[in-house]
Amino acid sequence: MMQKMNDIPGKNPFKVPDNYFEDVNRKIISATSGFDQEVRKISIYNRFRTRLLVAASVAGFIFISYTAIKLLTHDKSNSQVSQVLHEINTESYINDIDISSLEEDASSLVFTEELPDVSKKDIIDYLLRENIELNDIYEQL
Amino acid sequence: MEKYSQKLYWHIRRLVILHEDADDALQNTFINAWKSIGNFRSESSLYTWLYTIATNEALTLIKKRKRNAAVSIDDLGSYFASSHEGSTWFDGDEAQMKLQNAILQLPEKQCIVFNLKYYDEMTYEEMSKVLKTSEGALKASYYHAVKKIEKILVND
Repeated sequence: MMQKMNDIPGKNPFKVPDNYFEDVNRKIISATSGFDQEVRKISIYNRFRTRLLVAASVAGFIFISYTAIKLLTHDKSNSQVSQVLHEINTESYINDIDISSLEEDASSLVFTEELPDVSKKDIIDYLLRENIELNDIYEQL
Repeated sequence: MEKYSQKLYWHIRRLVILHEDADDALQNTFINAWKSIGNFRSESSLYTWLYTIATNEALTLIKKRKRNAAVSIDDLGSYFASSHEGSTWFDGDEAQMKLQNAILQLPEKQCIVFNLKYYDEMTYEEMSKVLKTSEGALKASYYHAVKKIEKILVND
């Protein structure tokens, strides 16, 4: 059955006017020449559009993440700094104090008045007024 | 463009039959291709991409022609007999006229598949990219087209 189709000589029974293809090529070139620059601009944009969008998304994500991290760790770091500064100041204050020099200073103090005798009962009463535990007192005695 | 214009013209011409219609569709094909060149992806070759545009242009023209009931080309013989202009651009003998008539009676898809395989000798892989159809479906289409044409020719 296929033979019947193959018996048909020649494959293209259609014709075209003389020089048709030269003429149509010229027509197409003149019709498309006006789009030249516009198409070139658009195609460059289209070519890079996806990459630009991806780059912008990544940059935006990094910026937002960085800002969020900075905001969340801001107070914590400040309080840590304050604590460290306080400790430094305290330590330096303590370092500035020389205990032995204190004792020397103390020993150089001269009391012009005689110190009154103080009984143990007076001491205990004093300590109780100052809310010091009796047990602690007994331990010391 | 010179490389593709002849191939595309004959592909369109075999679908639309009339030279003037094929001329319009060919020019539209290249103008649309030029406008959409930025959208061309290298997933398909330029060759199959242009064929896709040309096929769509031809089908658009056929649909427009069907809406205009005054211009109907279901029977080439009758058409060429009644139109002096039409007969000028047909150079085939009676057998070729019968074959062309048989092809015109195929459903649209089968007609396109048959023309691409028989005249353009396109591979099923290329055809699949042009028509966005699986190779299996195209093979089935071509098989049914051939059977139908043979039946028409035998009965003629």
